[in-house]
Amino acid sequence: MKTRSFLAFVAPSVVVMLLLIAVPLVGIVYLAFHQSYVKTELVDVTVEVPTFGGQTRKDTRTIPQPVLSEDGEAIRVWEFVGGRNLAKATDIDGLAEVVTEARSKGGAKGFLSGLYREVTNIDFWGALEFTLLYTFLTTPAILAIGLGLALAVNSVTRRLRGTLVFATLLPMIVTPIVSSLAVYWLFLDNSLVSTLIYNLGLGRFYFLADQITIRTLIIAYGIWFAAPFAFIILYAGLQTLPRDPLESAMIDGANEWQRLRYVIIPHLAPLLTVIALIHIMDAYRVFEPILVFSSDVYANSVQYLTYFVLAFEDNVHKAAAYSILTVLGVVILLIPVLRHSFREQKASR
Amino acid sequence: MNRFKTLAAAAAVATAPSVASADCGISDAGEVNILTNFFDTLELLANVMEECETDDLKIDVKLTTTHKEERERAFEASTSPYDGSAVANSSITLLQAKGQLMPLNNLVEKYRDRFQIEDQMLIRFGDDISAIAFMANAQHFFYRTDLFEKHSLEVPTTYDELLAAAEILKSEESVTYPFGAAFGGSGGWEVANEFVNLLLANGGQLFDPATSDPVFDGPEGLEALELMGKLSEYMSPNALALDFLDVKRQLQQSEVAMAILWGNEANGMDDPNESIVVDKVAFAPAPAMVEGGPPATTFWWDGYVIPKNLDGDPDLAFRVMMHALRPEVVAENNDAALWIRSNYVSTKYSEAVVDSVMANAPPYPMNPQSALAHGALGNNIGDFLAGKESAAQSLADASADYRSAAMDAGLLSN
Repeated sequence: MKTRSFLAFVAPSVVVMLLLIAVPLVGIVYLAFHQSYVKTELVDVTVEVPTFGGQTRKDTRTIPQPVLSEDGEAIRVWEFVGGRNLAKATDIDGLAEVVTEARSKGGAKGFLSGLYREVTNIDFWGALEFTLLYTFLTTPAILAIGLGLALAVNSVTRRLRGTLVFATLLPMIVTPIVSSLAVYWLFLDNSLVSTLIYNLGLGRFYFLADQITIRTLIIAYGIWFAAPFAFIILYAGLQTLPRDPLESAMIDGANEWQRLRYVIIPHLAPLLTVIALIHIMDAYRVFEPILVFSSDVYANSVQYLTYFVLAFEDNVHKAAAYSILTVLGVVILLIPVLRHSFREQKASR
Repeated sequence: MNRFKTLAAAAAVATAPSVASADCGISDAGEVNILTNFFDTLELLANVMEECETDDLKIDVKLTTTHKEERERAFEASTSPYDGSAVANSSITLLQAKGQLMPLNNLVEKYRDRFQIEDQMLIRFGDDISAIAFMANAQHFFYRTDLFEKHSLEVPTTYDELLAAAEILKSEESVTYPFGAAFGGSGGWEVANEFVNLLLANGGQLFDPATSDPVFDGPEGLEALELMGKLSEYMSPNALALDFLDVKRQLQQSEVAMAILWGNEANGMDDPNESIVVDKVAFAPAPAMVEGGPPATTFWWDGYVIPKNLDGDPDLAFRVMMHALRPEVVAENNDAALWIRSNYVSTKYSEAVVDSVMANAPPYPMNPQSALAHGALGNNIGDFLAGKESAAQSLADASADYRSAAMDAGLLSN
């Protein structure tokens, strides 16, 4: 292809990518390296508030008030702060302090457990811990379950397949926020599951009351939610499986497990890589169940921190720093997968 | 809070009180967009506003519990997509301190007679009228009269008495737990609010007004947080995941015998569609932290504001909002809230709020530092309640978070 026509073909997608991916990314980096606030001064202000029955209460308080410019507008300070927001988001100072403190406690075991407790007490590192746990536990699980489902659906009669595919896809079709809510409602006090357990005579069980159960619940939700995605891709892959090698394997006396291990899985390998790639990106941004379960004490995520800082600290700059950390985390996690698929491509050439 | 829970609950209830349709008397063409929080009273007012809709006038009221996040972004932008918004005394502070609110003095003078705007409705910062308030609210004590009678309990006036009552109610089999309070909800906002109630009633403060330095980690704060730890022993073990709507449901479904809840949820206890304890729940001011001290609660108001950066017509937006606040609306929906209007008739659902104010419950502190301290507390005190660390450590973490946030906001210099 001539360079010119190549460029002409590629140009539209390059423009769209620049506009929709590069520009926002640069914007986020720009925000993260700055800090802005409305300049205020402490002023005594008399505030009048209503109570009831026509009465009001007057209070004079020292309240920060905006410093106004000559034309009566509030002055907004916008300053370059370099890596300060990133340092604050990851709490580098706190981390250093924690490490020295834990070291002073002596004993290897005491040092490690003290260190773990203190480090995960810092918002970012605590969130990172669960984010990684979630990513690393859900990824292999959805690959295995997705493959199992694909094989199962593939082996039933053709007539049933359409219905089964649809039913299996349901968790993926429901909006994550709604399905998180449904799961949350299933496990609350006096909810369906809790009541069932109680009526079976197993006592009261509290799913949202400690770390291990709430984390298990969120991870199980994540698997339930993402497995259909792996299933549908692998199911499509199975349709392209050539019959010849399978039949040769059978003639050679390969049992079912050997056929799966040496014929089917190698055939599906590129798809497994793609699924892992996409799911890692998704899993690292886990957000909805954390929000709905309000589980941030027990299980937090980096993406949730972005939301929290934006909503409760009203600080778009620090939130941008958390976004950068999310993107960085995804990139780091993807490197091994990308290297693997790159090597595979090279080998197959 | 869980906005989604709120949404679903509201959709499930779908019993917006009716309002006789009135001629709005607004013939302007245009568009008015209002952003508000989502609870029954605000939904009612939104319905009244939307009556004003004509072929030429489009009115859109967005009800969402993420109003805070949206409003902060909207009022900060070059033009706000919203021409007005409902705020409370906590959320007005950051907006006011950033100079984003339009003074309403001229509009109030122009329309005072037409909408019978009363002086008590005007929220003033210095000379500026920054908001028009319409309802007051406070958290207070809710309790089951039948169970209190059965165990011959008195209404607790202090938290020590409440703990003693909780101990006795542990044996009561018709409820699962003695006590409920909103310790859950996203961002920890509600649990921090419970802490602020106890802190202020214990004589503490969030920060030093002269320097903006945090002081909530002092002995008063420590006692307040430790009390919350004791209370949690009488609550559902899932408490850190339960917001005020869950607590309301716990009370309505006879899962708890007493609770601390918002005043405007009181009439819901007698709604037979939601409640199995109709006429069995009574209300009293929140218990005090110290003997003879004020009840451990703060009082709140809700009101409407107009941003400086709106893209519509402030005059039109003002009229639409004031249409919803007419005395007739209050008269027809008297029980829906503790209205700030002279024709409001106090009922058994609002008495406890009134009594709390009479007993010197302070207003929720109106300043931007409070909002940041509240956020920092919400992010940290859950760790103590979950048993992950000591109360002192949680407060120290919150104090550090507050410092960091206040410095970023330019409120604290070092």
